Amino acid sequence: MKNKSRRLAIPYVIWMALFVVAPIVLMVIYAFTAEGGGLALDNFTSMGAYLDVFLRSFELALIATLVCLLVGYPVAYCMAKEGPRFQRIAMALIMLPMWMNFLLRTYAWMSILENNGLINQFLGAIGVLDLLGVDHIRLIRTQGAVVLGMVYNYLPFMILPIYSVIVKLDGSLLEAARDLGANTAGVFRKVIFPLSLPGILSGVTMVFVPSVSTFAISRLLGGGRQMMLGDLIEQQFLGGAYDPHLGAAIALVMMVVVVVCMAVMNHFGEGEEQAVML
Amino acid sequence: MKSRRSVGGRFLIALTFLFLYAPIVLLSVFSFNAGDSSVVWKGFSIDWYVKLFQNRLIMESVYTTLLVSILATVISTVAGTFAAIGLFGLKRRWRSPLMTVGNIPTVNADIVTGVSMCLLFAACFQGWSVFARWLNGVQDVVELPTRLTLGFTTLLLAHIAFDIPYVILNVSPKLRQMDKNLIDAAQDLGCTWMQTFRKVILPEIRPGVVSGALIAFTMSVDDFVISYFTAGSSTSTLAMTIYGMTKKRVSPEINAVSTLLFVTVLALLVLSNVLEARQEKAAQKKLMLQKTTEYHPVKPPRRAPAVTKRVWFRRAVALVSAAALLVVTFALATATSAQRVVNVCSWGEYIDTDLITQFEEETGIRVNYQTVESNETLYSLLKSGGGDYDVIVPSDYMISQLIEEDMLEELDYSQIPNFSLIGEDFKHLPYDPENKYTVPYAWGTLGIIYNTTMVDGEITSWEAMFDEKYAGQVLLINNSRDALGIALMYLGYSVNTTDEEEIRQAYQLLSDANDKGVYQGKVMDEVFQVMEGGNAAIAAYYAGDYLTMLENNEDLAFVVPEEGSNWFVDAMCVLKGARHYDEAMAWINFMASTDSCLANLDFIWYGTANTEAIEQYPAYYAEAYGEELDNETFRIIQTPPETLERCEMYLVLPKETRDLYKDLWLSLGV
Repeated sequence: MKNKSRRLAIPYVIWMALFVVAPIVLMVIYAFTAEGGGLALDNFTSMGAYLDVFLRSFELALIATLVCLLVGYPVAYCMAKEGPRFQRIAMALIMLPMWMNFLLRTYAWMSILENNGLINQFLGAIGVLDLLGVDHIRLIRTQGAVVLGMVYNYLPFMILPIYSVIVKLDGSLLEAARDLGANTAGVFRKVIFPLSLPGILSGVTMVFVPSVSTFAISRLLGGGRQMMLGDLIEQQFLGGAYDPHLGAAIALVMMVVVVVCMAVMNHFGEGEEQAVML
Repeated sequence: MKSRRSVGGRFLIALTFLFLYAPIVLLSVFSFNAGDSSVVWKGFSIDWYVKLFQNRLIMESVYTTLLVSILATVISTVAGTFAAIGLFGLKRRWRSPLMTVGNIPTVNADIVTGVSMCLLFAACFQGWSVFARWLNGVQDVVELPTRLTLGFTTLLLAHIAFDIPYVILNVSPKLRQMDKNLIDAAQDLGCTWMQTFRKVILPEIRPGVVSGALIAFTMSVDDFVISYFTAGSSTSTLAMTIYGMTKKRVSPEINAVSTLLFVTVLALLVLSNVLEARQEKAAQKKLMLQKTTEYHPVKPPRRAPAVTKRVWFRRAVALVSAAALLVVTFALATATSAQRVVNVCSWGEYIDTDLITQFEEETGIRVNYQTVESNETLYSLLKSGGGDYDVIVPSDYMISQLIEEDMLEELDYSQIPNFSLIGEDFKHLPYDPENKYTVPYAWGTLGIIYNTTMVDGEITSWEAMFDEKYAGQVLLINNSRDALGIALMYLGYSVNTTDEEEIRQAYQLLSDANDKGVYQGKVMDEVFQVMEGGNAAIAAYYAGDYLTMLENNEDLAFVVPEEGSNWFVDAMCVLKGARHYDEAMAWINFMASTDSCLANLDFIWYGTANTEAIEQYPAYYAEAYGEELDNETFRIIQTPPETLERCEMYLVLPKETRDLYKDLWLSLGV
């Protein structure tokens, strides 16, 4: 059996070489060459100009991740305390929007946030706008809108892993902690929270990585006025400034930075990097 | 973990659901709106649903999405399962590094996966093109296509590539949990490998396979980014279509399609939950039965007939649905391949779509009509191997660049008799001096469109584009040539300057204004929606589009600023290696005819190079609308010579200047 089944790995290894390794190798080659061939480091030296984009992307993604965590953790925690029927329905309801394409979800916010959109109309109707003496509050095409879009799209990615860890917590541990004299806060701080760390880590990864690299959300809700990393890369491949070499270099740097961030973070998780899959 | 449930907790959960669902509910409600606003309710109607089913672009993309997701799921589930078994058979020393490498697509940001795949395909296409040219050169037996483009195949490959790791991740734990002695036992008892797989392994790992397939399907359906970089232009998933639509005038058809999707998913979810609950109940019953029968063992029949029946029924259903899927796939594939097709790429709101229907009816050639945002985007798309087009309609300077890079095919003017109707002023222009590659489509000027209710007095200068007074109210045009061109014109320089200092000054002007928050955003086709809705005061855009906007918002005004402006010609060209050359000629000839030009002129309000059409237009207008054509309107359509005098055409810039434009343009968003 072993000998035979081992052969089954061969096609996969070939496939992997072609469609997993080769693209990345090619990306590295592109990043280190200039147009027309020849080794060049220009792509990296000129990247300093885009430092602000890097910082902005990481900042917005971090804010979004933090908001997701602050909202998602209590929700996951409360959900895990409910009865099994409630839990099942709540889980389904949280996952449901994920099966709608995320662009549709983002699009839903566009008409709400427009200058003439629902929120502004509502504020106008109840007289808040007159009170402030403006005809609208600018909501769309701001960084706030981008963060909102990220939170809206990726909140389920935070809730689900945390929930699935908390729900599996061994009840006897909590009882033991309580028996040993810990109060509610103590139980949470010393038992529940440390044990739910793997869920938090995987949630953070699942929110942060797509947030930091998004281009659709920033384009739709941010108006493209201030680029994010995703926009910058997209611009060089299918956008208005064709330069796959620089694009590949930026993508590479982003990949490395993200991997380093994740590694550092997982290091804090100490060996619990076993990702919690959905 | 069952402890006190707090009211606060439920409240929090309720709030979260409200946050998650309010936008979707709103979307659904407004999908039944009689008007096309997403804010103002104008009565109930199902018009948008009717329109949705008539919208070929959306329906085709729904079909593409489903097909690619199903195919990718099936293929990656089978491949991933076998790969997992294969990896499982390896020693740990080999297995873990292979697993790590295999997981790269799940760990990487989608955009990195997408971009690297895009590079891989582009590199393969380049290699193929060299090979095909060589082979076509040395022999005459087979003629290989020299230009390959991204399309359904590349999309499917990419989807399989990112689905497989999820299947492996789900199957591997089940394999690990399996008792390995079972396999040995089966083989000792004389099972062949395949039998062992079918009778022993598969039943054990089935839950993992099923959940792997489910996740793969979810990933495929939800994916946008990877598809965007690997599908090219002619194949479009629903997400890509929606992205394209949000960049134009947003149509409530999107609301309708979202609602339908949502309802479908909701129904599936409810169904699966009900089934699950029922299964649980059945399992409990079985358990109880077992307990009761424990003391009175009854020999069970060899095979419960009911069970057999159900198994066969399930198999039959699976077989029938698989067969149906195959038949539909093949039917559609053959139907589309047998038909004559022409792939056209143009700009947003740049054609009277009735003309497409008319052309299809007259010639039987199916038109795949796509749009892109700007010349620069078109160029990127072509270079990335994503532009599967026959006919494109770039502007003057881009045509020069494409000719320079040997990307255009010469036209066969004998197949385009209507070329004779093109005015002499529009022949032998600088971009195509010998007139070998182009037939003009439309022409116009760049100017300022502004909302008179939001601006004090009249705007006459490009200064308005940089004025802090209008902070947050100005829309910057989203392509480097026009944006920097505007700044150059305002500074009194030529739009074709190659002087780095002048260009940098222009950039500084834009950048300062951007820093001061003058610009609300960068727009191309979104401009229609934003300006018509009164959501911005000032935008630099094209004359013809102003007239389109005016139909929906009477407060708008247009001016070609006193500093001068750009006048442009967009011309139809055929890409090198176009697969439907003759059909392309037929389309170009059709679009150059006087009737088409008249209909198109009346729809897009851009100037035409067809001399007959422009002469007949006032009469055409009078007949169509029962009133005289307003002279002011006509002067915007057909820019008069005194205005044209201060306008300059864009010429192709040398490579260094183009690179400078590119760098500056990227820096602008920083």
